[in-house]
Amino acid sequence: MFITLSPTSPDPMYKQITDQVRDAIASGELAANEKLPSIRELAEALKTSVITVKRAYLDLEGEGCIITRAGLGSFVAAIDPSRLRARKLEEFRIELDRIVRTGAKFSIRPDDLVRLIRGIKEEHDGSDA
Amino acid sequence: MDPMLEARDLCKSYEGFSLAKVSLTLSPGGILGVFGPNGAGKTTLIKLLAGQFPADAGDLRLFHLGYDEGEREIKDRVGYCPQEPPYYPDYTPVELARFAAPFYSRWDGACFYGLLDRFRISAHKKFRHLSAGQKTLFSLSLALSHQPDLLLLDEPAAGLDDANRRFLQDTLRAFVGGGEKAVLISSHVSDGLDEVAERVLFLGRGAPILAADKEELLARWKWVHFREGALDGALAARLTAMRHHPFGNSGLCSDFPAMSASLADALAAGDARVENARLSDVLVHLTQGG
Repeated sequence: MFITLSPTSPDPMYKQITDQVRDAIASGELAANEKLPSIRELAEALKTSVITVKRAYLDLEGEGCIITRAGLGSFVAAIDPSRLRARKLEEFRIELDRIVRTGAKFSIRPDDLVRLIRGIKEEHDGSDA
Repeated sequence: MDPMLEARDLCKSYEGFSLAKVSLTLSPGGILGVFGPNGAGKTTLIKLLAGQFPADAGDLRLFHLGYDEGEREIKDRVGYCPQEPPYYPDYTPVELARFAAPFYSRWDGACFYGLLDRFRISAHKKFRHLSAGQKTLFSLSLALSHQPDLLLLDEPAAGLDDANRRFLQDTLRAFVGGGEKAVLISSHVSDGLDEVAERVLFLGRGAPILAADKEELLARWKWVHFREGALDGALAARLTAMRHHPFGNSGLCSDFPAMSASLADALAAGDARVENARLSDVLVHLTQGG
């Protein structure tokens, strides 16, 4: 798992952790039942406080992404992948909304954006081949 | 632009300490920050520049004059705030100002009382009874009130609360804002005065380590965080102050514009992230190898 904390991000530290752990689960990097690092271990590695990581784990547990078993640690929950995908889609929609609005300021229309996306995809397909 | 202060290869040694070959120039409109760890020689350098003692070697000119030829004129045009204000402890700010005023051709009493008021310094309290922050602010008020062209401030933020520190920043920006005056400050970086400096000089153990334009420096130095294996060995080897942990590696990059093309793939894939380095990150790395 790859987690970094940015002191300049507008998001609080605990949210940066929950977002990145959730992403690791959604992308399949973390599999169901996989054990998560202990709160202390993660806090030490990220140079943040135990309270911050504890808060992040509690939030993830509240969302149903992880399960904490007393004395055993925290584990990735067996979560319906479509739920995480739906959430990710919503995040993309918000990002795209921003791009569409910015584009409108410069007369870049949604059609142009679709063409750009197709172009990028072809580039990647070409370089993979 | 014509420099107000030019120092070349200044050296000073005394028992247990030596400052070697410091060169700097300061042009009108500029704010230079001299940064370094404790014992780096910041105070010795500022004392040399302020003419508190002569250098053992090197050349120093302020307003095109050396202290040997124009001490009186230089001191009239320089506002110097030492780290430990050398004022009679039993005098009040008003008495101290009355004592200092005749030494300066452009003394402005109204400015002085305005600053005392602004800083809430009790005009009739003995100097020794002022708080550490008030002593600093008094020293600054005195320096500003003789309308200097150049301010030399040795750790002026020491002992200041956040509001006064911000006021000091604004005051310094306004001071140089007309483009005719200049400021040199020394600081520990973490006290926020690095924000006002446009140029920086890093000192480490009595010798200059780096002189640079601050924004250019910060555009080049970045933290690169990356997933284990996401960067090839040669690329990773260009990072310093490397830190490994189970959830990613971090290193300082000293020339990000030159490296950014090679990082593009890892950045796009989300396997690397770039974060601005702070001036203190660069300073600590360069002076202590941390």
